[in-house]
Amino acid sequence: MPNVNCRVLRDIKARKGVQQNELLRRAYLYVARDQRQPAQVRHQAQLQLNTFGKYTRPTTVKNRCTETGRGRGIMSEFGLCRTVFRAKARNHELPGVHKASW
Amino acid sequence: MTMANIAPSALAALTRVRCQIFQTAYNPASIRTGAKYLRKRLRGPSMMKYYPPYEQLSLAKLMKQYPEWDVVDEDEQIRLRDLDQRKKRGKGAPKKAKSMEDSRRSKRKR
Repeated sequence: MPNVNCRVLRDIKARKGVQQNELLRRAYLYVARDQRQPAQVRHQAQLQLNTFGKYTRPTTVKNRCTETGRGRGIMSEFGLCRTVFRAKARNHELPGVHKASW
Repeated sequence: MTMANIAPSALAALTRVRCQIFQTAYNPASIRTGAKYLRKRLRGPSMMKYYPPYEQLSLAKLMKQYPEWDVVDEDEQIRLRDLDQRKKRGKGAPKKAKSMEDSRRSKRKR
């Protein structure tokens, strides 16, 4: 059972927000960054972009540990933090991962 | 014939034809078109898949779903009882300010 703390819930909220607003945000981004458009149109698009909430930006999404919810020391290929990664690797729960020895 | 001898207009025409053949955008001045925001894949669907799906079982949810079960949330009862006692001792939350002048915020030192 993964540990779902408030920070994970916040991250899930951000992910939902990003997914729901992504298409519209992209459209505004396209207009705002297009140098062929008149300056006024680009400015309006930028203002519209600013009206989106904090949790609609993809940069607010952070990959946390899927087991413990820890935010630092994440092995991105496994989505696990360093301690859980180590424990699982030692229990042979991660295929292809074993402790180095030479 | 070296590159220096070719007229710039001819080079531009060559580039235009090359763009037509290879189906790329002809953009000699390198103007930002914002096309990269349309070309990139949407990241939302893969972002939603990161955490494994979970179902959180809460007492409040259970009570709402099955009102006929008469489930009693003991912690909530204790909280309400304590709150009542605190209010009797005059330790409850302060009244909401009706206007900006009443609010403690305006009296706060900066």
